[in-house]
Amino acid sequence: MEFRLEAHRIVSISLGKIYSARGQRGGLKLHKNLLVSLVLRSARRVYLGEPGGECALPPRPGPPPPPDCERLRRGCRPLASEAAARGRPECPAESPRKRSAAERDPAAGYPGKKPRREAEQPPPQEDMETGNVASLISIFGSGFSGLLGKERGAAEATEPGQVCCEQPVLRSLNPWSTAIVAF
Amino acid sequence: MAGAGGGGNDIQWCFSQVKGAVDDDVAEADIISTVEFNHSGELLATGDKGGRVVIFQQEQENKIQSLSRGEYNVYSTFQSHEPEFDYLKSLEIEEKINKIRWLPQKNAAQFLLSTNDKTIKLWKISERDKRPEGYNLKEEDGRYRDPSTVTTLRVPVLRPMDLMVEASPRRIFANAHTYHINSISSNSDYETYLSADDLRINLWHLEITDRSFNIVDIKPANMEELTEVITAAEFHPNSCNTFVYSSSKGTIRLCDMRASALCDRHSKLFEEPEDPSNRSFFSEIISSISDVKFSHSGRYMMTRDYLSVKIWDLNMENRPVETYQVHEYLRSKLCSLYENDCIFDKFECCWNGSDSVVMTGSYNNFFRMFDRNTKRDITLEASRENNKPRTVLKPRKVCASGKRKKDEISVDSLDFNKKILHTAWHPKENIIAVATTNNLYIFQDKVN
Repeated sequence: MEFRLEAHRIVSISLGKIYSARGQRGGLKLHKNLLVSLVLRSARRVYLGEPGGECALPPRPGPPPPPDCERLRRGCRPLASEAAARGRPECPAESPRKRSAAERDPAAGYPGKKPRREAEQPPPQEDMETGNVASLISIFGSGFSGLLGKERGAAEATEPGQVCCEQPVLRSLNPWSTAIVAF
Repeated sequence: MAGAGGGGNDIQWCFSQVKGAVDDDVAEADIISTVEFNHSGELLATGDKGGRVVIFQQEQENKIQSLSRGEYNVYSTFQSHEPEFDYLKSLEIEEKINKIRWLPQKNAAQFLLSTNDKTIKLWKISERDKRPEGYNLKEEDGRYRDPSTVTTLRVPVLRPMDLMVEASPRRIFANAHTYHINSISSNSDYETYLSADDLRINLWHLEITDRSFNIVDIKPANMEELTEVITAAEFHPNSCNTFVYSSSKGTIRLCDMRASALCDRHSKLFEEPEDPSNRSFFSEIISSISDVKFSHSGRYMMTRDYLSVKIWDLNMENRPVETYQVHEYLRSKLCSLYENDCIFDKFECCWNGSDSVVMTGSYNNFFRMFDRNTKRDITLEASRENNKPRTVLKPRKVCASGKRKKDEISVDSLDFNKKILHTAWHPKENIIAVATTNNLYIFQDKVN
């Protein structure tokens, strides 16, 4: 549980860094933003309890080692992925737009989530630059301050309502954070 | 104590000089961003965030009164780069000098390469200590004489004048980098040099500014697949066909330009497997290499990542031959250091002239030296408190945990705003230049 709290905090801090990097003099620093997006990805995995999330954490005694850590570190997705299903022989880099069926599970039925759902739809591949940034701004506008608000109450946050509100924002983070990196 | 190269005696480091403003209020333009001795060690160049280059020259020793080696005094100051605006991308290009590299001296003038994020410039620094006097058509102040007053002819003669040091830009190498330049390195062929940005490395000829060869390109076809960037690159000191580049993933690739025009396939890959017990959210960040430097011999190379310095033998790819912990006590503080951005600090490292001692910076204005022969290390502080010339520096110690001894400093008391990122070692003597945020300290070994 404490890992999830720390992961949550790291996600908030990382989002803040990506957000403030946009106004920097001299333009975006590709190296720093790449590192921040890698931390964001690891923390997000831990927070959402995704398979391979444990790879970001130091090994705990007892339980068997986490699966496929090596492949994940190289940037591949776990084998039960669409890419593997397509039969691509080489290790595919993580493609954020294509999510496995498990991830795409819409937390439907939870009220109050609706406004963020619109922002979630990934823009078309070609329309990279401005489309993503506009979506990112809207996400940060609601999601980031939302995350900050949640963070204060994180220690006691057990209500499903609160947690699920964050999850779609977190799930949709990946394309935009890497899009910011990819300028 | 760090040992001197070749001898067996321990060095005692003494304060020599400090350059820069005394104010605690640091002007951003004065932040030092690079420090480099030239090949003889007579000249010491610094670059700052304001785009200026300041060159210091060592005064030739007074043979009678050699209480210390010569002092460094300002020799030349010039504005190397100005801020620019890229209208196409709506981006400001910072004038901060990222790197300075001296070219080996070929004639009376000195040449150096300086670079900001986008443009490299070749500067010629020359001395003028004579000027022609006695022109026929001009007065001494330059005004033209009335031709009717010229009744005799004379030959102008060169007369001594006060020394004037002029810096002039001889070449401007622009528009070859889409991403931010992090390294430049002059080749041992004395004709070419390389420049590296986050994703590409270009090879230039010093005489040709309108084109360069791209020799490394790691940009993926789909930028979303980007997982690593180039962090530093350097030519081998002796083999003009060999260079290395380091990555944000902690790997170093050695490339041979004879193998192919585009050196995307490395000849050697240096990588140490990760220690699984040290894994954390920040493992990737702290393994990113911030600097790579060949030894003077060319047999070894040194890399700096966030917590350690590693020495690699070029003949062994699977692990470094030596690893030195710079500030291991920070490993438990990585989350806070991520929060305050310190984890992204890019520390440089350097070799002494005989490759027996390596040096790098840390926080709280501390810097560390590791003697490769004796395996001893020392922590020293660059501070105006030790201000008297020939004051021997006292070794410092950080108390990681437990009871703090007298004179030790606890990790929580360290000032993370006082960081030493740039250090340089004189190529031949035990003289070091250490840059704090806006001051340059020069230390020398104690001369008896």
